[in-house]
Amino acid sequence: MTEPAYTVASDSETTGEEKSSPPSPEVAIGIDIGTSQSSVAIWNGSDIELLANRQGQKFFRSYVKFKDEIPASGVSSQLSHEDEMSSGAAIFNMKRLVGRVDTDPIIHASKSLPFLVQTLDIGVRPFMAALVDNVWRSTTPVEVLAIFLLELKAMAEVHLRRPVRKAVLTIPVSFTRFQLSRVERACAMAGLQVLRLMPEPTAVALLYAQQQQQNVTENTGSGSEKVALIFNMGAGFCDVAIIATAGGVTQIKAMRGSTLGGEDILLNMMHLLLPDMNFSSLEVDERRKIGLLRVATQDAIHKLSSQSSVQIDLALGNGIKLCRTIDREEFEEVNKEVFAECERLIKLCLLEAKIEEIEDINSVILVGGCSNIPKVQNIIKDIYVRDFYTGIHPLEAAVRGAALEGALASGFNDPFGSLDLLAIQVTPQSIGIKAYGNKYVPIILSNTTIPARRELVFTTIHENQNEALIVVFEGIENTLTKNHLLGYFKVSGIPLAPKGIPKISVCMDVNSSNILRVFVGVVMPWERNPPTPFMVVQMPTIDGEHGLCAEALSKTYGDSFDLIAVKVGL
Amino acid sequence: MSSISLFTPSEITGRRIAAVPAPHIPTNVCFPHQLRISAGYSTADQRAKETSLQTGSLYEILGIQSNASCQEIKSAYRKVARLLHPDVASNSKGGGATTEEFMRLHAAYATLSDPEKRAMYDVTLSRRRRREARLAASSFPEVEGRRRTWETEQCW
Repeated sequence: MTEPAYTVASDSETTGEEKSSPPSPEVAIGIDIGTSQSSVAIWNGSDIELLANRQGQKFFRSYVKFKDEIPASGVSSQLSHEDEMSSGAAIFNMKRLVGRVDTDPIIHASKSLPFLVQTLDIGVRPFMAALVDNVWRSTTPVEVLAIFLLELKAMAEVHLRRPVRKAVLTIPVSFTRFQLSRVERACAMAGLQVLRLMPEPTAVALLYAQQQQQNVTENTGSGSEKVALIFNMGAGFCDVAIIATAGGVTQIKAMRGSTLGGEDILLNMMHLLLPDMNFSSLEVDERRKIGLLRVATQDAIHKLSSQSSVQIDLALGNGIKLCRTIDREEFEEVNKEVFAECERLIKLCLLEAKIEEIEDINSVILVGGCSNIPKVQNIIKDIYVRDFYTGIHPLEAAVRGAALEGALASGFNDPFGSLDLLAIQVTPQSIGIKAYGNKYVPIILSNTTIPARRELVFTTIHENQNEALIVVFEGIENTLTKNHLLGYFKVSGIPLAPKGIPKISVCMDVNSSNILRVFVGVVMPWERNPPTPFMVVQMPTIDGEHGLCAEALSKTYGDSFDLIAVKVGL
Repeated sequence: MSSISLFTPSEITGRRIAAVPAPHIPTNVCFPHQLRISAGYSTADQRAKETSLQTGSLYEILGIQSNASCQEIKSAYRKVARLLHPDVASNSKGGGATTEEFMRLHAAYATLSDPEKRAMYDVTLSRRRRREARLAASSFPEVEGRRRTWETEQCW
């Protein structure tokens, strides 16, 4: 019903533009929001260019500092002192915090941060606040992200001398659709239209595909298929993907992600240095100390990548002095679980991509800050003996790929064929519904090529059950509650019938822009026409507090509106 | 087409809605026992196209010979994907139709690039060809054969 209003409003808006022909498409910028640092790049017509701020920086610390009335971010301002990061006024790690509920282990681990992260452990959004002049000022990860994006946008506008409205952003593989919706909201708040939210490995794959494509043209080679393993580990997330590319067309064979990152390594090290400290309930003065420890530990971890041991000397106030030497062996021992998980992810991915011989892989591409850690490199070398691919800058890979996608999604063409690229994407997570009481029934499986559509038929479990509750979840876990609630709705008006007779068809559709829609229709075997109108629901419909919601639904309704799948003899 | 929620968020904010092609909605909800319900959203033209595509073999969809090698299947898939993928095609054509075509292309590729599935498909295909030949010779209505083919293609 609102459609005409949109047409009128936007029609008048664009009539001016249409007169000035030919309308050259506005190239969307590519943005890589990292847990620790971010960057922006654009296709400038012939090449990818990283945008720099007035100080000439191309990488910006991902934080927003609340002070006085106007918040400032790592884009425009530089911290006068590293300690400012530990004062509690600066909010960072928003990429890790966004779209999570207070039962999430990531949120619990974030209680060691210098700003306030409060949890009630009931599955609602955690309370967050920055310490400004000894006052806790509340904020949200989305708000912080929006302020940060606004500054990135302003920086790009200064650089490009034109308004910037469209963007492609990279996101971790493990992000849920709810988290994507939060990122989209932050972009909307910053006045950016999101053309695509791209899993980071896909962005890297696109860049790799372009390089391979150029090599082929230069060497006039046959353009044979190249298979690459992409390992991307930053401060907040670890993604692995196996891709195949030839002739500019890239297929994602398998993709896996986790919330494993430098932050976990950092926390393990802080526990090692201050074993008696309870990091999850900190007093205000303790927060500052921990903040200082955080900065010093981070520095030590960086040094351990190039030297075999590091000395930490830190005054924590009240006469407490920390003085310790840590060698690489100890570092690797403390973080052995993190490294084991990296290895597991890679092996899982190889298995899913059906790579039988490791020799079938032509390139291994390491991306992200943590890929610099010797142990991480050794793990991969144990699996893949040949040298790593060197044609891609580990910190610029994602943003460069996003800039390429920005040009493609804006409909930009390159006369020299540099943009003759297509990345066929996959759904990183499975999507399904709750059935059989508390079971997760995936309908679209993870690593399914999109656009995708799949339908499953369900039926009622009670006699004369005239309603069914469709609860949509996303995730790769077998246990329902470990996955993420995306939304729910009720199908009513099912004609009275014995259990197992009405057929409820649930169809999931993911289009090429990764929009998920759920279609539900009821069919009675003896009726030609459906007894009730079909339902079409775009997901996620949920607006936060999804943990609490999932629990309330199962507590209130139990299995009274439940469904089971109809076995189809194939 | 009354609900705005059918549009993608990006389509609402940016371009003129009038210029945006109607979003494609799955035409049918199909059930195993041949019950077919039309949601009534798609155009007759689109439906006709789908029907015509359904009758072709998976090899025809990829534009290859039935003895094509694995490598040929891969490169044919890429070649056709470059034309049909909604990301590429949306610049020239309406998005909905190519989404359907691409999904069909991908399904064909998924079957033929897996040796086991391909072998199974080849068996059904030759069986179907024989039946079609038989049907053509006899006086059975052709419709019957068509419907069956459609069924086998959907259930591979």
